[in-house]
Amino acid sequence: MSHHQNKSAAYGQGMVIFIYLAALTALEYFIAVTFNAVSILVVVALIKAALVMYYYMHIYKLNEDSDDDIHSYAYKTGTNRLGLWLFLLSDAFVFAGLLTTRINLLGLTRPHLNQILGLAVTALLLISSFFMNRAETAMTHGDKKGFITNALITLVLGLGFLLGVVAVEWPLAAAEGLTASSGTAGAVFYMLTGMHAFHVFTGLIFLLVIINNARKDVYSADQHWGVEAATVYWHFVDLVWIFFYPALYLIGKLL
Amino acid sequence: MKSVSPLIRGWLSLAIGGIAAYIIGMGLVFAVSGSWTYVHLVPILFATFGGAMAYAWGAAGISPLTKGLIWMNAGALGGFALGLMIDWLVQGSLDWAAPIASLFSLLAGFTAFFLGVAGLNAVSKGLLWQIGGTLLGAIFISAIRVAMGLTWSGPFLFTEPAWVLGGFMGVLFFLGGNGAVSDWFKWARGMDTPEHHEETHTGWVKYLNISFDHKVIGIQYTIVALFLISVGGLFALIFRTELAASQLQFLTTDIKLFGQNGPQLYNTFMSLHGMIMIVSILLGMAGITNFAVPLLLGAQDMAFPRLNSFAFWISVPATVLLLMSLILGGFDTGWTGYPPLSARAPVGMQMFFLGVFTSGWSSILGALNNIVTVIRMRSKGMTAFRMPIFVWAAIATSIIALTATQFIGLAFQLVMFQRLFGMGFFDPAQGGNPVLFQHLFWFYSHPAVYVFILPGLGVISELLPVFARKPLFGYRWIAMSSLAIALVGFLVWAHHMFASGMNEYLRVPFMYSTLLVAIPTGVKFFSWVATLWKGKIWAPTPMLFVLGGIVVFLLGGLTGPPNATVSTDLHLTDTYFIVGHFHDTIFGGFVFPFFAAIYYWFPKATGRRMNEALGKLHFWLMTPAFFVLSFGMMRIGLLGMRRRIVDYDPALNFDYTHLVMTVGGFLIAISVLIFIYNFFNSIKYGEKAEGNIWNSRSPEWQVASPMPAHNYDQPFEVVGEPYDYGLPGSKYVEFAAPAKATTHHKGEN
Repeated sequence: MSHHQNKSAAYGQGMVIFIYLAALTALEYFIAVTFNAVSILVVVALIKAALVMYYYMHIYKLNEDSDDDIHSYAYKTGTNRLGLWLFLLSDAFVFAGLLTTRINLLGLTRPHLNQILGLAVTALLLISSFFMNRAETAMTHGDKKGFITNALITLVLGLGFLLGVVAVEWPLAAAEGLTASSGTAGAVFYMLTGMHAFHVFTGLIFLLVIINNARKDVYSADQHWGVEAATVYWHFVDLVWIFFYPALYLIGKLL
Repeated sequence: MKSVSPLIRGWLSLAIGGIAAYIIGMGLVFAVSGSWTYVHLVPILFATFGGAMAYAWGAAGISPLTKGLIWMNAGALGGFALGLMIDWLVQGSLDWAAPIASLFSLLAGFTAFFLGVAGLNAVSKGLLWQIGGTLLGAIFISAIRVAMGLTWSGPFLFTEPAWVLGGFMGVLFFLGGNGAVSDWFKWARGMDTPEHHEETHTGWVKYLNISFDHKVIGIQYTIVALFLISVGGLFALIFRTELAASQLQFLTTDIKLFGQNGPQLYNTFMSLHGMIMIVSILLGMAGITNFAVPLLLGAQDMAFPRLNSFAFWISVPATVLLLMSLILGGFDTGWTGYPPLSARAPVGMQMFFLGVFTSGWSSILGALNNIVTVIRMRSKGMTAFRMPIFVWAAIATSIIALTATQFIGLAFQLVMFQRLFGMGFFDPAQGGNPVLFQHLFWFYSHPAVYVFILPGLGVISELLPVFARKPLFGYRWIAMSSLAIALVGFLVWAHHMFASGMNEYLRVPFMYSTLLVAIPTGVKFFSWVATLWKGKIWAPTPMLFVLGGIVVFLLGGLTGPPNATVSTDLHLTDTYFIVGHFHDTIFGGFVFPFFAAIYYWFPKATGRRMNEALGKLHFWLMTPAFFVLSFGMMRIGLLGMRRRIVDYDPALNFDYTHLVMTVGGFLIAISVLIFIYNFFNSIKYGEKAEGNIWNSRSPEWQVASPMPAHNYDQPFEVVGEPYDYGLPGSKYVEFAAPAKATTHHKGEN
């Protein structure tokens, strides 16, 4: 891991990107409640995705030159990184298939959902991504304590998102008549949020693992592939929600 | 008896044991039912398995195989009795055809076989855990149902949700229990494990245990693939026998097995033949790629040895699930599993979906590993266009398998959820859209056929120069054509749906994109013919299969455009012409090259070569028989024979063609049996072949066979073009120190 920036500059960058993402999310919501232009919502989502992939997931590291010695940690990390991104590419096809299903079945309509709750869980996940980025930055600079603090905050926020969707949003929707078997809108809603929640759940397990291992001093500033992998995976889960949130809550007319 | 040869002793025991077991089976049936209704089934099963046991015992005494077969028979009988007892306790009546007894018999028989062969090993441990996991999951759901005041028992002992969770937990328990993931669990707890474990098992037992060596895993894949080819082939023989004449003679309505009557069994066998063969193709090609790619690249292993092992082991419980689907009521949708029919089929449908989903992960993770290996693990000097051509094919295949496979998994998952939770994705009554399923399904399943054939075509391109002693014509064009086929393959899926009722304006673009595939495929043919042109062609068994593959695949290619063209396809849709076309492409693109690859790399894996005479017999029996079969399919298809049906009108005059096709099918089966005999016999008794017996330029042949665990003792550097056969003084690879080649090149290089 090369140190391109000092720690406070890296923290600052994470903060700036977070502000952009938050502003774009607010913009999305504003567009949705005013003139609901799908094309603009798609563009905004793509911009958010690009920001997350570049600044939070560091996709450019795939291109990083690594050591020529294939037994070195750096070379192996390069190999692992490629494997992880290919896995995410594969996983992205699951979510692409789900979006296809949603577009095919619901078109420009959407189910009746609690907008405030939707915005709240989206905010939780976005803030968790911000703290995840801080955690990784801390680890990159050898700050174990900072890593654990930030990762724990991420964990709590992620758990909040998961419970917000599964334990609050689902029963609320069901109480209003939107159940899994009430029609395609319900089927799509539970399938999309369910598949995403499953990924959040696995991400939380991953977080627990790296926090525990950090406590055991498994990672160092130079060697922490596990932390990087969990971080990239966590941001990927956020990335998916960048598309799922407008697809479920914002796009189209109410059914 | 000592002076008699093992072969004769084996056959004698087979005859005596088989007849004795048959008589016991007949007696048993008569004792229970007082009639001979099941005469053709139970005694045949007894004779088959009893005979196999007797053969092994007669030929080799109490060998591990004999022990395995004895245990298997005891396990199968015990499992059957246990299942029968449970069924009796639950239903209150004894039904010999009860699926649950057959299921217990299958699982116990399987497990006992591996226990008998080598005690506790990764397979038997995994299977034991899988059985435990399945029961636990099923009982868990049943308990919840009871607590909710619902019924817990269904026609297959448990209810459908119980079987689904059971099947799923069975897979997890298999993988957790057999040790495939134990290193990852250690990592998760912050423990370190050595990058490569010392091989704790030697000899053939290592193939039954966890190994991270890509060569071992390649062979494990290949053997599971051969097992599945045999099972899928057996299913084909069963329904082909029924089709030999019009009317129902064999799978009649009064048969009752696994909760299904004859025609229902036909549907299940026909459906499972499709999917089991597909899984066997995926595993077979994974076997060849796994074995060959790191050797061709000069790598020590795959990039992720644990993932490699995991991807193999997940295919074992998947195989069990697929076989369970046969027993738990079967299903009648064909391999495509279209709703709404698949939303109504018996529980077997769910086991089928789960099995395909699970084996899909094997394919995805194997592909991931492949791509990373090729990008990161090449030896020095191996630039993109100096890679062996098979590697290009493996990359093209992996791109499809990595991404598109998720779509079939998702499509099947959505149907599973529709059945479990009433989610109406494909239910028109709820506003769902069955055509959506077809889109999701074919977005994988069309590119998937390129997953099946591209590695095979790569094998053809790889072996052709070796046996024509000439450079491969148009290397870069072939490399690019593999990628082109893979990428264009993503844009053609809806040509399977011309008659589905999708929007008509979609038909023409999909027709043209499909016809576009002919261009890169044509590039390959052009190159193969040009490579053969004026070559010094030498035709041992691998080359025979390569040439056979080219001819058969050509036939498959030429019969493609009529299906791709809307006007002709509307007539050909769902006829036997499609079946004939498909079998042509798969035999030409997979079966022939797969056999070629096995004959070719067998000495590399074992240090012995397969018997040439038997290999040639295999080829000359299979090839004409296959032509008879596929031409017959296409003939009656053009004349209007529908696919997937158990019976046809005698007035169509198809009886004679069907009879000839059935004979062809049996001849193919015999040739494959010869191959399997040759395969296993040659491992032990084959002629020694430790050197470069094909006089190949490829790096793996420059060192002695079989290769050690981490492949090359010295790294090599690529210094020339891979296929410059016949060019004096040219070299492909140079080893750091003198390589231990046992055979030196004579004359031409």
